[in-house]
Amino acid sequence: MGKRFLLVGGVFSFCLLALVCTRCGKKAEKPANAIMVWHWMTDRNDAFVKLAEKYEKETGVKVNFELYAPSDAYSQKIIAAAQAKVLPDIYGILDKKEIIASFIQSGFVADLTEEFKANNSAWEKSLFPKALSVNKFETDNIYHVKPGIYGVPIDVTNIQMLYNRKLLKKAGIDQPPVNFKEFLTAVQALKAQGITGLVSGWGELWMADCFASNYAFNIMGESRVMATFKGDVPYTDPDWIKVLSIFKDLQNKGALAEGIVTKANKFAEQDFALERAAFAFNGSWCVNVYHDMNPDLEYGAMLPPPINGALPMKIWGGAGSSFVVNNLSAQKALAINFLKWLTAKEQQAFLSTETRNLPANQEALTQIPEILSQFASSMNNTTHPTIWPYNEDALVIEAFDKGIQSIIIGEKTPEQVAQDVQTVKDRQMAKKRSKNKS
Amino acid sequence: MKINRYILASRLKSIVIHTFLILVSLTCLFPLFWMLRSSLMTNATIFVDKSLIPHEFNIHNYYLAWTEGNFAVYCLNSLIYTVSVVFGIVVVSSLAAYAFSRLKFPGKNIFFNMFLAAMMIPLPGSFVPLYVLMNKLGLVNTRIGYILCMINVGLSLSIFLLKTFFDKMPSDLEDAARIDGCSKLGIWRHVALPLARPAIAVIVIFNSLNVWNEYILATLLLNDKSLMPLQRGLMVFQGVHSVDYPLLMAGLTIAATPIILVYLSMQKHIIKGLSSGAVVG
Repeated sequence: MGKRFLLVGGVFSFCLLALVCTRCGKKAEKPANAIMVWHWMTDRNDAFVKLAEKYEKETGVKVNFELYAPSDAYSQKIIAAAQAKVLPDIYGILDKKEIIASFIQSGFVADLTEEFKANNSAWEKSLFPKALSVNKFETDNIYHVKPGIYGVPIDVTNIQMLYNRKLLKKAGIDQPPVNFKEFLTAVQALKAQGITGLVSGWGELWMADCFASNYAFNIMGESRVMATFKGDVPYTDPDWIKVLSIFKDLQNKGALAEGIVTKANKFAEQDFALERAAFAFNGSWCVNVYHDMNPDLEYGAMLPPPINGALPMKIWGGAGSSFVVNNLSAQKALAINFLKWLTAKEQQAFLSTETRNLPANQEALTQIPEILSQFASSMNNTTHPTIWPYNEDALVIEAFDKGIQSIIIGEKTPEQVAQDVQTVKDRQMAKKRSKNKS
Repeated sequence: MKINRYILASRLKSIVIHTFLILVSLTCLFPLFWMLRSSLMTNATIFVDKSLIPHEFNIHNYYLAWTEGNFAVYCLNSLIYTVSVVFGIVVVSSLAAYAFSRLKFPGKNIFFNMFLAAMMIPLPGSFVPLYVLMNKLGLVNTRIGYILCMINVGLSLSIFLLKTFFDKMPSDLEDAARIDGCSKLGIWRHVALPLARPAIAVIVIFNSLNVWNEYILATLLLNDKSLMPLQRGLMVFQGVHSVDYPLLMAGLTIAATPIILVYLSMQKHIIKGLSSGAVVG
């Protein structure tokens, strides 16, 4: 027994020692002509690796893509690596703009403004402006970051309405509706055929908020939405009642899928992919999801049908995923050159086709599948809370979103919800004022 | 016919208890069954076919999961990590627990309370300092760095469990061993450790589970794919927005099988370890 114990202990100690000897103190030697990219995009890894091989053939520069997923683990790794000053040459910061700003201020992110502006802004012009704005810090930004462009979008995303061609045809509808009135008529026709109208993951409150925000921009225009956030226009304003009434109308006309207020987006995605609903409100990532669930699904993308023809329908969108360059990297120039190459038309078209994401390069639209092209062609209609000059208080947003749910389940009227939201808004404004005074 | 009221009551009680236990067992086993069932389906059928037993068995998923997930390398890594970490934890925690329980030295209580306090800190809370420390020691992206960190993670609970066990060990046994010429280390090796077998079984299974399923710390400390544990293979099937459910479920089945076998093989000891703490020696 004693001998066996010693033997096991000895073997274990030997193994540990062997592991120490093979690894300890051995600093990974990095070739001068190689760059390291840390990313979190499991579904894009294979395409990245193929592109890296192509880049090495063309330039002789080896690009190593290291995948760390899920995104939570990746974020932890980036923060830890930043603290230890061992960030790779290229990486992404999956966090709020505030955190991106702190990375920039700590000197971990290279300012790419000059690179984007070089050659008459050729690089900047090739990309969707909305995709770049997420990576941009404007003059006098609240984070006190030197104005400039700090990140490179590799794809874009936006949230739109999807329609099932087969189901619309079944209800005798040849063309998708172009305005909200037509949409309600279409939904009635679908209902007569026993087909559910609209499905969306409104159990995830931000999606319902996004839908409402689209219509707020369409009904009252950006300036009045911002004025509301500033506190100059109350939520009891008739325009906001109109926005909230959309949900009441949709519910009254039987347009919404059953249980929509508690539906997680992945279940809403299943419903649309399996042809249980004719319309969906979802992000461009759905192309990937629908393809996996039902490759034969015949569908198209369209802007949510507007109510007010006089104002544009704005949708949420912007950069999908972005990379930044490590400012402390010895291979900074190589890293920037690689990102320029990665965001060029040909590579973007390849990446988009392979991964079914929207390209960041607007010139690549002609070379990608139709559904992606439909999504991407509305990029100029996009907006996003991260680029708005004012943002609403989190508690007000919560009250607004929960109010939408109350309207859908028939618990409250749009007027009541508007009043509730305004009460929260007044309270938060008062708090803000007293904080500013002190 | 006269029915014995006592027998009736006890049978009724037994039926109620067994029905309850069967229901609890079903809730525990159903996810495993669902995983197995889903692993045999295709992407086209997984969302449509609601039957408990799939109409067609797609065993090819297992081959794809094994090859696409690079499971051969990751399985070996996980095996190395699990064996090394569990062995390390058992050796270090049993020595420490024995010392905390039977030896007298200055600061004993402070040190023990520090170990207990370490149990309260969630692992993610120590990620950044751990990474910085490992980086300074040159142990980032090394097997030994990960093994040492994981040993550290499992120590607090293991020391606590073993100390409770050793506290109840009669001092007569120690005295007898001392009369027979045992040193302090000898008493630990020949008396305390064999008696603590049930508690060690609990520690082995808890820590094996913990190490086998750990992924976040591995992602943090390891960069090379060739050093990653099994859970890394499962990530391949989970896209940012979409998931390849059949392959993921096949991968999960492969990943869960060894640990289920370990659990089944040590089941008796675990129950003993959890219930027999009061009778030592």
